[in-house]
Amino acid sequence: MMLEVPGAAMLEAVTLTKRYEDGVLALDHVSFAVKPGQIFAMLGANGAGKTTAINLFLNFIEPTDGEARIDGIVTHKEPLLAKQRVAYVSENVMLYPNFTAVQNLDYFARLGGKTGYTKDDYRSVLLRVGLSEDAHNKRLKGFSKGMRQKCGIAIAILKDAPAILLDEPTSGLDPKAGFEFQQLLDSLRTEGKAILMSTHDIFRAKEVADIIAIMNNGRIVMQEPASRLLGQDLERLYMQYMAGHTAAEAVA
Amino acid sequence: MFGILVQKELKAILLSPKFAVTFGICAFLLLLSVFIGISEYNASVKQYDTGKQLADQQLREQSSFRMIQTKAFRRPDPMQIFVSGLTYDLGRWAGINQISSPRLRSSAYSEDPIFAVFRFVDLAFVVTVVLSLLAVLFTYDAVCGERESGTLPLVFSNAVPRAQYLLAKGIGAWIGLVVPVVLALLLCMLMVILAGVPMTGEHWLRTGLLMLISLLFFTSFMVIGLFISALTRRSSVSFLVSLVVWVAFVLIIPRAGVIAAGQIVRVPSVAEIQGQRDAFARDRWNLFRQDLDSLFENRRGAEPDSMTEEAMWTHMQTQDSMRRAIELDINAFEAKLYEDLSRRRNVQERLAFSLSRVSPASAFQLAAMSLAGTDLDLKRRYEDGLMIFRTQFVDYANKKTEDSPGGFQISFSSDKGMSIGTPRSKAQLDLTDMPTFVPPVQQIGATVEGLLVDAGLLTLYSLLAFAGAFVAFLRYDVR
Repeated sequence: MMLEVPGAAMLEAVTLTKRYEDGVLALDHVSFAVKPGQIFAMLGANGAGKTTAINLFLNFIEPTDGEARIDGIVTHKEPLLAKQRVAYVSENVMLYPNFTAVQNLDYFARLGGKTGYTKDDYRSVLLRVGLSEDAHNKRLKGFSKGMRQKCGIAIAILKDAPAILLDEPTSGLDPKAGFEFQQLLDSLRTEGKAILMSTHDIFRAKEVADIIAIMNNGRIVMQEPASRLLGQDLERLYMQYMAGHTAAEAVA
Repeated sequence: MFGILVQKELKAILLSPKFAVTFGICAFLLLLSVFIGISEYNASVKQYDTGKQLADQQLREQSSFRMIQTKAFRRPDPMQIFVSGLTYDLGRWAGINQISSPRLRSSAYSEDPIFAVFRFVDLAFVVTVVLSLLAVLFTYDAVCGERESGTLPLVFSNAVPRAQYLLAKGIGAWIGLVVPVVLALLLCMLMVILAGVPMTGEHWLRTGLLMLISLLFFTSFMVIGLFISALTRRSSVSFLVSLVVWVAFVLIIPRAGVIAAGQIVRVPSVAEIQGQRDAFARDRWNLFRQDLDSLFENRRGAEPDSMTEEAMWTHMQTQDSMRRAIELDINAFEAKLYEDLSRRRNVQERLAFSLSRVSPASAFQLAAMSLAGTDLDLKRRYEDGLMIFRTQFVDYANKKTEDSPGGFQISFSSDKGMSIGTPRSKAQLDLTDMPTFVPPVQQIGATVEGLLVDAGLLTLYSLLAFAGAFVAFLRYDVR
């Protein structure tokens, strides 16, 4: 089921399908679109196909069928061009342990094509994601998962790409950091970024997303604007979809 | 993009303990090897000078040109400091006389076998064993290590071309290793200068080429490490594979090549050659005796006046010419045997080196020894040089003997019987015009020509390994 949205999509999956060499069908004709200024949340259990979809957008793997497009560019045909328009935060951000936070930011910002940043810019973005100043010039060796996650988000912000892919971004963040992250996503949306986020966090998805999709066994079993789900118990809905109910059954 | 990637690699290496540890190991081992090389070179020069003085003195004490003999010495060369090669295996002097062919005798190892147990640690050894290992350790986790640590997906979420990334990895690691190695090598050169080793311009040129071939050598191992890292997903697996490949290339293939060549091309031992020669000689002399017997029988049956002194003299002359013909036959047979031995050895050597050159370590060792002039050719050069000198020396001695026969002379005469002549004068021999042994020199042109093969092979191995790494990395799952 594809949600009809007016205007050009920044991130678009068109009957995206991925079958691995061992025969597992990880993604089965999935279609969706994320416009600039929208947050699209993919909910689903482990193995539902959320990360596979993100990997296809990053061209880490090639689709068996269909296309993933970023700003209209088919990722597996022109991966380098497509990657210039997307930033990525993984579930477990890993950076160079012998580099400081600022050094890591500097490297990845330049890798993302941004060469004009100053140390003040790095400090300011690190403060924006909630990393205290005393950690800015420390090597990442001693950073907690949450601190690394903040650095990863800072890198994504610095890239200033029109599209952002977030794979379980709040994993490892404490509740306060999670709330700050939610505010950050709000501000990024306001800046006009198209954000595709995979998450297990139903509460956070409901709070922050514009569109919510529930995935099961490589398929999108539900895709609705968050505004339509306001009065509904999303958790119950999620559990029903996971149990294999159809859309009609679940809504009833 | 490429510059950013290389800068990051360099920064990562500089910030990691790898750099300091590598510099420490390289500086310590290279300086130690050169220090040992200089000490051994100085000792060799001292022995060479002393030996020559003693030989000159012994020569001056001789009273006759008839039995004159001398010694020719193998001159130590400063290049043996860096690559000892066969220096300590070959004899250091050869006796030059009119009776026997000159043979190099008294090698350092034959005098002090204890050194042969663990061999000398020279610069070539450090480069072959230690630097190649360091080179592999610098790159074995270049790709799989980043995947394992989780940074690879973040890197490739950006518009990073894989070829540039791989090349930057290789170049970054290469510079990271070259800098400490070159610094350590410069310290070694400083040590050589401070020690007052008589290095000529050509020696410095050879040393420079040696450094270049060393860089080429460990570059090949770095790229092999990179290739393995692009083939594997875990650094522990990559480490194990790299270690196996290193052992094969450095320790097994060079020896296996020689062993295989020994099995494929059979070369008889000197004892076998001697045995064949003796068997041939025995047969010929038996025939000679049979011929003599029949000759004698024929004479006995002949008329009594045939036993005159003149007839006896003719008979002796016939015997003598037969004997000489047999000696010539035996010598020709022996020469043929040795020629065949030499030919087989050459074929075996070429095959052994060709097989061994599958390993970059062999190609480097052969190139290094050739550059230093301490390869198998050293023996050949000296053997040829000694043969030429012996001919000159024997001609000189014969000429001098004819001009002024000295010593004592035993002569036989049918009229007077045996008589012994005594020297007319015990005055010191005038040796001013005696030929002197000029140690053979390896021409740099010929060296460079030979070097090109090994340099080409090392470059080829690096290119092949990089091509392999590139193909593997194109298909590499960065997740």
